[in-house]
Amino acid sequence: MVNPDLRWYILFANYEQGLALRDLLLKFDVKNRIAPAPRAIQGELSCGMSLLIEDADIESALTCIVQNRGEYHSIVPLAGQMRSHRDKYC
Amino acid sequence: MANYVEMWKDLGMDLENHDLLCQVLPTAVGDVFLTQENRPNAMDFWDLVISEVHGIRPAELIEAQKQGRKVFGTFCVYVPDEVVVAANGIVTGLCGGSQFWVPDGETVLPKATCPLVKASVGARLGKTCPFFRIADMYVGETTCDGKKKAYEILGEDVPMYIMDLPQMKRPKDIVKWKEEIADFAKKVEEFTGNEITVEKLNEAIHIINERRKAMARVYECRKSECLPISGRDALLMTQISFFDDPVRCAQMCNRLADELEQRIKDGVSVVPAGTKRILVTGTPLAVPNWKLHNIIETSGGAVVCEEMCTGTRYFTNLVDETKTTLDEQFMALSERYMKTNCACFTPNTGRIEDILELVKEYKVDGVIDCSLKFCCLYDTEKRSVSMALKEAGVPVLSLETDYADTDAEQLRTRIGAFIEMLNG
Repeated sequence: MVNPDLRWYILFANYEQGLALRDLLLKFDVKNRIAPAPRAIQGELSCGMSLLIEDADIESALTCIVQNRGEYHSIVPLAGQMRSHRDKYC
Repeated sequence: MANYVEMWKDLGMDLENHDLLCQVLPTAVGDVFLTQENRPNAMDFWDLVISEVHGIRPAELIEAQKQGRKVFGTFCVYVPDEVVVAANGIVTGLCGGSQFWVPDGETVLPKATCPLVKASVGARLGKTCPFFRIADMYVGETTCDGKKKAYEILGEDVPMYIMDLPQMKRPKDIVKWKEEIADFAKKVEEFTGNEITVEKLNEAIHIINERRKAMARVYECRKSECLPISGRDALLMTQISFFDDPVRCAQMCNRLADELEQRIKDGVSVVPAGTKRILVTGTPLAVPNWKLHNIIETSGGAVVCEEMCTGTRYFTNLVDETKTTLDEQFMALSERYMKTNCACFTPNTGRIEDILELVKEYKVDGVIDCSLKFCCLYDTEKRSVSMALKEAGVPVLSLETDYADTDAEQLRTRIGAFIEMLNG
């Protein structure tokens, strides 16, 4: 069952690693978007870039990563991260 | 592996406080940008930049400094990037657009100062912005009283150079600005140790003109009734252009424009047909100030143009590339920059003419004239803007806001009502 409120963040050691995985996913038509890594899941990682995968696309993303040995640091699910009317700016 | 923490430490930043800023940025980016559907693929470049906004570009600037290049931090679209680029220097924008920096600014500035000025000073004093730590020299200008006084504070521990911008546009004022540009060139030569020659300045003029043309291409696409990009995304592109390498910026804007032009051909719009088209005018929206655009575009409107420094004023008008002496080139620069219509000039009828022209070109349904709190100049000009638009039969909503979230609900109510009125 796909959860439209759930998104998966792929974290990286550096943005070069992130861009390489993005290219790989795009090559295999797996939808992904570049997003700032939420600080709560970033830990000690210095890299602020993550790849955002909708819940509906995570299975195909994982398959692509495993089959092509895509490199990443970790994959973290988070729910309710984005709300266009939240009005919490920086 | 990029170790930005070490870099920030070396820059003398307050890591603990900076981490608080790092916590709020991803939430805002997610809410404002990633909730949008059907964004242009080429926005991936700006998504990366904003994800690593205190990482990638600062690291590039530090690397350039190691090669002997100097970084000049600027606060205004009147400062000619061309002069710095001609001396192999690098320009980076420094205007602060975050409420996060305001309290630190208020420790030395009156609370009744515009939030852009308070945030800029706060970013420096609070040691939470790498760009303020990296810049070898700050370049100010006399566009407003708040900035002029702020520059005195910022100049206490960073080399500061001030350009005296005329406040009228008579022929003698254009000559005066040319002389200011020539003086600035001498200072830049002295500071960088690099001579500015006719050839180098011509090359720099070309580089900056190409950036202007590329940004103008993106804006040209926003004139289409089939709107291929949101105002939020276009604003992000413009905001980042102040920080980026100008050649790469032009490449990325052209790449985006290619996609937008194709979208128009294919009939791909980011909003439903009939969505009311809004022109936003007023004071600049420095990164990460996205409040106004987000509220407009989540209240049923689409921002199709910004008549502001983070908008058309930044790229409109090119510098003549045919001049053959430095004196002629400085005059060509002055003529171009003095065409920019800021409320610091009197009279400033050119801005009204610009707004009326943009309303036609961008097929605008309504104008939102928004100034930052305590900006007396733009606040006062709301009267003439409003009168001219009403005479032209164009609905206008005048607003005042700052960087805080506290007025968001009130803004939603007023902007929502305005768009509802446009929808008839």
